[in-house]
Amino acid sequence: MTTQAPDQQVLTRTIGRVAKRALFWVVVVVFVVAIALVSLSTVGSNADGPPLDPDSASPGGSMAVAEVLRQQGVDVVVASTLVDARDAVNGFDDTTVLLYDPKGFLDDDQLRDATTLARTVIVVDAHFTQLQAIAPEVRQAGRADAELTADCDLPAAVRAGAVSGEAYGYRIVDGSAAAVTCFGSGDGVFSLIQVSRDGAALTLLGLTDALTNEHVIDSGNAAMALNLLGSKSTLVWYLPTLADVPDDGDANLGELTPAWVGPVLLLLVLTFVSAAVWRGRRFGPLVIENLPVTVRSSETMLGRARLYERSSSRLRALDALRVGTIQRLAALCGQPRTATVDEVISAAAAVTGAQSGAIRNLLIDAIPATDADLVSLSDALLVLEHNVAAAVHP
Amino acid sequence: MAISGRFVALLVAGVLPIILIGQPWALALWLLLVLVLAGVDLALAGSPRAVRLSRDLPGRVRLGETVSSTLLIANPGRRRVRGIVRDGWSPSAAAAPLRAAVDVPPGEQRTTTTTLTPFRRGERRAAHVTIRSFGPLGLAARQATIATPGAITVLPPFNSRKHLPSRLARLRELDGATSVMVRGQGTEFDSLRDYVRGDDVRSIDWRATARRAAPSGPGLVVRTWRPERDRRVVIIVDSGRTSAARIDNEPRIDTAFESALLLAALASSAGDRVDMVIYDRRVRARVQGASGAELLSRMVSSMAPVDPELIEMDWTAVPALVRSITSHHALVVLATTIDAPGASHGLLSVLPQLTRKHMVVVSSVTDPAVLDATLQRGDRELVYRAAAAERALLDQSRVAAAVRQLGAEVVTGAPQDLPPALADRYIALKAAGRL
Repeated sequence: MTTQAPDQQVLTRTIGRVAKRALFWVVVVVFVVAIALVSLSTVGSNADGPPLDPDSASPGGSMAVAEVLRQQGVDVVVASTLVDARDAVNGFDDTTVLLYDPKGFLDDDQLRDATTLARTVIVVDAHFTQLQAIAPEVRQAGRADAELTADCDLPAAVRAGAVSGEAYGYRIVDGSAAAVTCFGSGDGVFSLIQVSRDGAALTLLGLTDALTNEHVIDSGNAAMALNLLGSKSTLVWYLPTLADVPDDGDANLGELTPAWVGPVLLLLVLTFVSAAVWRGRRFGPLVIENLPVTVRSSETMLGRARLYERSSSRLRALDALRVGTIQRLAALCGQPRTATVDEVISAAAAVTGAQSGAIRNLLIDAIPATDADLVSLSDALLVLEHNVAAAVHP
Repeated sequence: MAISGRFVALLVAGVLPIILIGQPWALALWLLLVLVLAGVDLALAGSPRAVRLSRDLPGRVRLGETVSSTLLIANPGRRRVRGIVRDGWSPSAAAAPLRAAVDVPPGEQRTTTTTLTPFRRGERRAAHVTIRSFGPLGLAARQATIATPGAITVLPPFNSRKHLPSRLARLRELDGATSVMVRGQGTEFDSLRDYVRGDDVRSIDWRATARRAAPSGPGLVVRTWRPERDRRVVIIVDSGRTSAARIDNEPRIDTAFESALLLAALASSAGDRVDMVIYDRRVRARVQGASGAELLSRMVSSMAPVDPELIEMDWTAVPALVRSITSHHALVVLATTIDAPGASHGLLSVLPQLTRKHMVVVSSVTDPAVLDATLQRGDRELVYRAAAAERALLDQSRVAAAVRQLGAEVVTGAPQDLPPALADRYIALKAAGRL
């Protein structure tokens, strides 16, 4: 029998049709990814900028101060490395450098370099080790009061009058040093200390909150910030980053191994993937097989056996065995199918020569009290059948 | 499309040039080279979609036998189709080999041969053919699956035909036998022949002897008898839920088919007319009015696709079914299961209607595992199982007794014993003239 379809139907879809079917989902995935990227970028710029970042509009950023300064004609340059900061300095006298390094990326030498970039340098929130490097006569003195008044004749402080927000205080431990101190909170603690360094002015500012978007409009904060930072034509806003950390560690694995190791590893991964595709590509779809139902015939018998066992129906089980034995004995002894049990018992006793009472007890009277009894009685039934069979057919 | 092991080997061989060049761009260059080679290979591969397929397939095969299925692959395209082909037979067709290498030049045709050894009765199907066509480099392949339906009917094995010669010999012994003691019903006059020593003296035909009396000697003549011919045999096979049960890894219905085939072969050569119906709640198959070799052929064809359904047999319709087949006295064989009194209620309720007019034989498969279980009493669990087995045997014998009481005969046996037992019962009934 030769069969040939007049027009063959190819079940495998062409690449074009597969692409058409997948197009919708590709578009959906691209759309979702685009939405995710856009929302992530916007959320990131608004909320999670570093503190005092002049490009951040978040409460902790300083975009407000930076933008107002730009409107006032100050050239605000943001620097993230010492090299950038040095490049951005536009004349030693015409530049203000703001340095804020809360994570301590700079080491002592770099700090000293940074504080000598310009004539006016403002260091915000310097902590103990930084102070040791740049101004050893000044020490940190913990938190200052929330409301501070100027108490000095520094122009910026005088114009501000009073400032508010969380602030840190500093204390001068070396009394001989020449310094201007402002915003004191008593006990020799001040939040703004200006010390002289070879003709340059180094300002240590503890009033971090006064520069943030959130608190710049409180009391005299704005006046203090704008006057302090806007005194020169250029402001270098230097926030050190990881790029400033000197790279003096041991050579890593990438530098120790030859250049080809990485590409070879990548090639081996690609080989693995292509081997998986080679072995995993299905050679045509599965063929459907209609399987027949499988019913085991002895299921009802086994189910009944478990029922007997679970309910410990010893007598019922034994009676079933006895009926079978009696029927076989009747057949062996030549009794008719209608013979009574008594007739079978006497016939079996006559054949084997055993006591009919014992056979009667085994076939009718005995009641198994335990499973052990049941097993021994069933064994006795088998023995009786065997004996009768041996006596009839020697 | 698909890629080959060669593609993977070529890809991994890139390790050498990358190490020699020692630059990262060597990787990109190598990947580009491999991809270009694979692309060229793919473009040069013959199209598996354009291939024309046809099958050359025998229509029927007996279960357990092997046939070969030939697939013709014609390549009308302009490029050579070289690769492997898989013929999608269902697992029960036991096709071998599963994949074959093909190489069809443009404009030519090649064949691949698959041998099938089906292990299940019924219709075994092939759904499709998958071709993977490699390019000249053997790196990448185009693959297509083409719907190419094919089917082969797997007939019942009729293993019990090995019993047929001995039963036919016994049937011939009946033929022309003079030793039939009971004259009258069930035997037909056949012929007269000379008396030989050993013949029953009661079969001497004195009138014929007198007519033939010749001066040369007494020359006694005896009558010979032969079994009646042209009796009707109606086989009803139950394809309900009880027939789905497996005994000795063979469904009951398969044993019923074996019995029916042996009986039909025997009865048709004895000159009786055999009709068969497979029934549960509807007629699943019917063979009527066939004789000789055509009968067996039609029977196996009609049996092949029938599988038991998980529904209860509708016995009430059986008398009408038998009436529709024959209005005369017939031997009605019911191939079913007599297991438990509850389940056999339907059978017992309609038996009187059948036995009133017909000779009814109920043939049922018994489970040798049950008989074995009664003798295994090693521990507590086995004793309970033996008790349940005794109870099952008791139920069977009660149903058998009820069937006998209603005037029908009962034939039971293990799967391999039932077909010859039923044949023997048929011969016995025929010898007794009860057909």
